Amino acid sequence: MKNVRFWVVLWMAAWGLTSPAGAQELSATEIVRRADEKMRGSESSIGEVKMTIVRPTWTRDMQLKTWVKGTEYALILVTAPARERGTAFLKRGNEIWNWQPSIDRVVKLPPSMMSQSWMGSDFTNDDLVKESSMVEDFEHRLLGREEVGGRLCYQIELTPRPDAAVVWGKILTWIDRQDFVQMKAEFYDEDGWLVNTMVTTRAGEMGGKVIPIVMEVIPADKPGHKTVMEQLSIEFDKPIPDDFFSIQNMKRLRL
Amino acid sequence: MRSLTGKVLLLGLLLGPVPLVGSAQTPDAGGSLDPWQASGYVKILQSAIFLEPVSPRLPFETQLYDNLLHQRLNLDWYASEHLSLQLGWRNRLFWGDQVRLFGASFIELQEEGDELLDLSWGHASPSGVAVHSAIDRLYATWTRGLWEVRLGRQRINWGISTIWNPNDLFNTFSFVDFDYEERPGSDALRIQRYLGFAARLELAVRPAGRLDEAVIAGLYAFNRAEYDVQILAGRMRTDWVLGAGWAGALGEAGFKGEWTAFYDPEADRIDLAATVALDYMWPGAFYLNAGFLYTSTGTTDGALDLFGYRPSAKTLYPFTYSLLLTSSYAFTPLLNGSLTLIYSPGPSHTTFLNPTLTLSIADNWDLALVGQLEALRRDGTGTLPVKAAFLRLKFSY
Repeated sequence: MKNVRFWVVLWMAAWGLTSPAGAQELSATEIVRRADEKMRGSESSIGEVKMTIVRPTWTRDMQLKTWVKGTEYALILVTAPARERGTAFLKRGNEIWNWQPSIDRVVKLPPSMMSQSWMGSDFTNDDLVKESSMVEDFEHRLLGREEVGGRLCYQIELTPRPDAAVVWGKILTWIDRQDFVQMKAEFYDEDGWLVNTMVTTRAGEMGGKVIPIVMEVIPADKPGHKTVMEQLSIEFDKPIPDDFFSIQNMKRLRL
Repeated sequence: MRSLTGKVLLLGLLLGPVPLVGSAQTPDAGGSLDPWQASGYVKILQSAIFLEPVSPRLPFETQLYDNLLHQRLNLDWYASEHLSLQLGWRNRLFWGDQVRLFGASFIELQEEGDELLDLSWGHASPSGVAVHSAIDRLYATWTRGLWEVRLGRQRINWGISTIWNPNDLFNTFSFVDFDYEERPGSDALRIQRYLGFAARLELAVRPAGRLDEAVIAGLYAFNRAEYDVQILAGRMRTDWVLGAGWAGALGEAGFKGEWTAFYDPEADRIDLAATVALDYMWPGAFYLNAGFLYTSTGTTDGALDLFGYRPSAKTLYPFTYSLLLTSSYAFTPLLNGSLTLIYSPGPSHTTFLNPTLTLSIADNWDLALVGQLEALRRDGTGTLPVKAAFLRLKFSY
């Protein structure tokens, strides 16, 4: 089943932001914490996302509308491609439902589906779902300052704490000094080999905040492969009541 | 079943306007929504069917080659905040051996059920060409707050478990007809009152010319301890029915089941259809579903024509006991494979096999290769009475 891709996207979509902080001298941990808060999102967001898988011989696009509240609630509506248009997903806590309008059917998905990575993209489960562990599961060391994508960034090395369940040997991250946008991250395995690079190719203001608008994930060992996520629109902190995230509304979402 | 074997995501139209539960306003993504929505597809299906000489109609080994050009249009009109209208219309052009073989009765084979309104039309010519046009969705939906009322030809899908659905009282479909994802509709009235994020009360009526062809039933659904649970009761044709279903999890695996008991007062007979299944997804996009179906109206013996019968909620499969395994695997993001196997213990060991490969060849173009095989043991030797292969090209819009 391909549904997993939407969870990836959901978490991406949830990477909205909190308020930018002042740029005094901060500890490496504090910088990561602020970037992490930005990635994990604000109280709520409503947006549209386009995702493109790029391979040497083909590309495929998908577009989604997303309604997200915290980490507990999400509704996702597929608006493209035509084959999957109208399919919707509801997440409440640990539960996920899938709506297939053509056959008037709600399917409850097994929990194992949510915790998998989407194999088609270059995002991994650990990149996405466990984003919050960037703060708690790692030791942080400020390596220096470097410009990435026209923005001056803090370069920080993250090494996993001995007791943390982390698949990476280390992560290098570049966090914008002014807006705490993660402009780049390199994920290394335990043998020190680069696995994935995540790059923010366009950051800018959307929905009143500076956010990564276009991000790419590039696997190190697969030339010509990447996954591009583009935020088409987003609104932050528009109040969404908890009961918006219902099966009834999953069925009623419109293109 | 097909919806499970790798193709969870189906093309479709959206139902109902976006107004929220209760008094909450619409947190829409912005922009005005078009009150008209059109979607659909065009498919070309080629089939090759090899039959053993089992039926009197086909006394010799038979090979049937057929073609089908199939167009579907879904049209939605959101007339107001509270009212919407939906149309689903399929047009098919057939040519090949089956049309020649069945002649004028070929059209009867294409008719789905006996609905109140006749919304289909067809003609078969002796030269082996047939056309069939059917409206399988034509309904109005009125929504207000937590109420939803729907009238017209619609699909009322009460199934909660993934593969077999004894709770699906309103629709019958042939599981071998993988090419009809939408499945037929019923002429019915459906009233739903939502009670919470996953709770609702529902009453549905499918009238018919005769009482013993009508279906009327109520359903109560709720969510407790991360389980969706439903209970239903009513009358299905000649039977009183009582049933229940659940969808939850055991650890990381999905755990689902349904049962329905049917009481026929005339025959003073109680029948039971019950299913239970587990599903799981492994890293690397390998999905497995294992289930069991009990059907008291089924048989444990005999070599049955799995392709010819039309199931109902009471008889989803012609055997008393059936085990099902379905798996799917995404070889690449474009190439998905699945295999479904249904085994029914008994002297004939009847097994249904359904391998499928789907390939996305461009953004809206899909190619599917589907096999259907019936394997069984007869007179001490194994045999494959029915072998079918299908190649389908689909363009979605």
